[in-house]
Amino acid sequence: MGRALAFAFVCLGVASVTVAAPAIRWLIDARPTAVEATGIAPEILRDLALELTPEGWARVLAVFAEQGSADTTPPMAGTWRVGGGSLRFTPQFPLVRGVRYRAELRIEGAVAAISFFQMPADTAAATTVVAQVFPSASVLPENQLKFYVHFSAPMSRGGVYGHVQIRDAAGQPIELPFLELDEELWDLAMTRLTLLIDPGRIKRGVKPLEDIGPVFEAGKNYSLTVDAACTDARGRPLRAAFAKKFSIAAADRTPPDPARWRIRAPAAGTRGPLVVEFDEPMDHALALRMIRVVARERGGVEISGEPTLADEERRWSFTPAQPWTRNHFDLTVERTIEDLAGNNIGKSFDVDLSEKADRRDEPRSVAVGFEVK
Amino acid sequence: MKKSTFALSLFALGLVVPGARADLTSDMQEGKPAFRAMSQLAFGPEGVLFIADTKTAAITAIATGDTKVASGDAAIKSEAIDEKIAALLGTKSDQIVIEDLAVNPISKRAYLAVSRGKGPDAAAVLVRVKADGQPELVALDNVRFSRAELPDPAADTAAEPGKKQQNRRLEAITDIAYVDGKVLVAGLSNEEFSSSLRAIPFPFKTVARGTSVEIYHGAHGQFETRAPVRTFVPYKVGKEQQILAAYTCTPLVQFALDDLKPGAKVKGKTIAEFGNRNRPLDIIVYQQGGKDFLLMANSARGVIKVATDQIVGASSITAKVADTQGLKFEKIAWDGINQLDLLDARHALVLRGAAGKPQNLETLALP
Repeated sequence: MGRALAFAFVCLGVASVTVAAPAIRWLIDARPTAVEATGIAPEILRDLALELTPEGWARVLAVFAEQGSADTTPPMAGTWRVGGGSLRFTPQFPLVRGVRYRAELRIEGAVAAISFFQMPADTAAATTVVAQVFPSASVLPENQLKFYVHFSAPMSRGGVYGHVQIRDAAGQPIELPFLELDEELWDLAMTRLTLLIDPGRIKRGVKPLEDIGPVFEAGKNYSLTVDAACTDARGRPLRAAFAKKFSIAAADRTPPDPARWRIRAPAAGTRGPLVVEFDEPMDHALALRMIRVVARERGGVEISGEPTLADEERRWSFTPAQPWTRNHFDLTVERTIEDLAGNNIGKSFDVDLSEKADRRDEPRSVAVGFEVK
Repeated sequence: MKKSTFALSLFALGLVVPGARADLTSDMQEGKPAFRAMSQLAFGPEGVLFIADTKTAAITAIATGDTKVASGDAAIKSEAIDEKIAALLGTKSDQIVIEDLAVNPISKRAYLAVSRGKGPDAAAVLVRVKADGQPELVALDNVRFSRAELPDPAADTAAEPGKKQQNRRLEAITDIAYVDGKVLVAGLSNEEFSSSLRAIPFPFKTVARGTSVEIYHGAHGQFETRAPVRTFVPYKVGKEQQILAAYTCTPLVQFALDDLKPGAKVKGKTIAEFGNRNRPLDIIVYQQGGKDFLLMANSARGVIKVATDQIVGASSITAKVADTQGLKFEKIAWDGINQLDLLDARHALVLRGAAGKPQNLETLALP
């Protein structure tokens, strides 16, 4: 508590700061941070302790987070406590940088004490960068559906579409390339952002495509850019802007088929990787999540291990936690796995209505067998 | 001097509700529901508030006990409500996100789902607007509630021994609504490109995992699409309960609630195209002069009003359209609408304000 007085505060309307006069201390080092009112006569404290409504407490000691334009704002939510000869307010939420806080102490018969506190600005240098973008290939299909942008540290939500662009070869931004969602598609840690190309801009015969053209055209060069003003969870900009350059090839409307994948079985007794070569790059997140290895015996036991992707998401490797045993295995793949264009197993992204495709009764996954000898 | 200490919570509103009807809330437990996020709000009957949590893929039903019928003028007005909420939460208005707005149809009081902070540690907060326009925290420490978890086919692989790969899948919940004993939940994954609409019976059963369907609409010529539902509203056409769902760029698609069966593939009927470069934000239904109307707020195309008597017998749009087609609509001169809900029979409650400017809560006469 002693250090609290070291923080700057200003008392207005108080004739002199003495032990006896009502005064406000910011207990910044307390956990949680609190604001303490001292110099209150014991009989007044006793009466305060009998005061049982939050509004009543707030009339005596209130802390405000000052805003720009709102005329009247409510005091901060929190709890009050009388004890040890003082009245203490503990905010429900921690104090943040960039806000000026104002505490007001109003004791009947005494001049109001008002004290301000502001946390020092965060002067740390920007360190967060775009660590990786998937797909990692430099040639993408004309109907490319999705990008995953991985950041090196947690990011901040809101307005992200103002900081990411698809640019043409001349560096000019393509108009509204992404399906913009207020929620923004982050993962829980907020280190990965999913960007969906507006399906209306990649599909055959879709209206927006007629109006403002497709996002991508085969044979042209583009870049995905993230500007440095994109802020991380601490409110700092990126250390550097980012650009991923790529060129566009013909559209891919062929559904992925695990029967076309090449499986290189490991040797029994080793923890050598099982390697699966796709015949096209697959969606990064889904390829890591939707492919499993199952031993055929005992009704199909899933093998524990770690999958990794390499070669621009064309090669999937799986290192088991335990050495391989001689056995027949299945590589099971969920049908909803996607290639770069969002084609699923047995179903292209665009379903031709005349084909009457219906997956209702199909199993959720397909299996390809291999043997470990 | 008295040594005992007293602790009180400011603006804590008791929400324990002995008065709520037993059939809806009798299975609820009492306590403190956990939230990682409050993404979408919807009121059911009897003051039951449904709160969607995108981060835990769950819907929590809370008996608010806010069941006193509104009397007199229910108009709500609060200028710079975002700054007022930020003040209550001890932060700046650019460090909160007002996720959703819902009006309790019984009490006509406005509830707001708010994120305090924009990073992974953001706190989820439920706020109610008082008669004087000031926000107050709705205390959720001791309420009657029940919870339904959405089916998440992706197990957390990080928890499995021998697997280091972290599961990053989340399902963003884009809208929820209650109708005829069901909570409808529209969602969109941050990994697989799929749009789902689930119907979860309420009261929630012990394991109420709901059902998922894929919604297609055939607006785009010969090819159907799996585009995500942005917002939707239940609406009765004749005797049949229908869902009117709006997609980005901006078809309005109709399908029957009864079609939402486990594993079903539902193809909706596209009944309107409201134009591109646009995403729908909210839809409400209201009556005027004995007729029903839809009011739809949009990101780029303002607010539009649609007479619903056109829906019966509306033809399905299956060909390319140049700009707009299908149901006729009227543009309403309400600018900067970010959230929209029905306040009473004659008024809408809106959250409006330009980007980067203070957001105002305003009561507007229905057009």
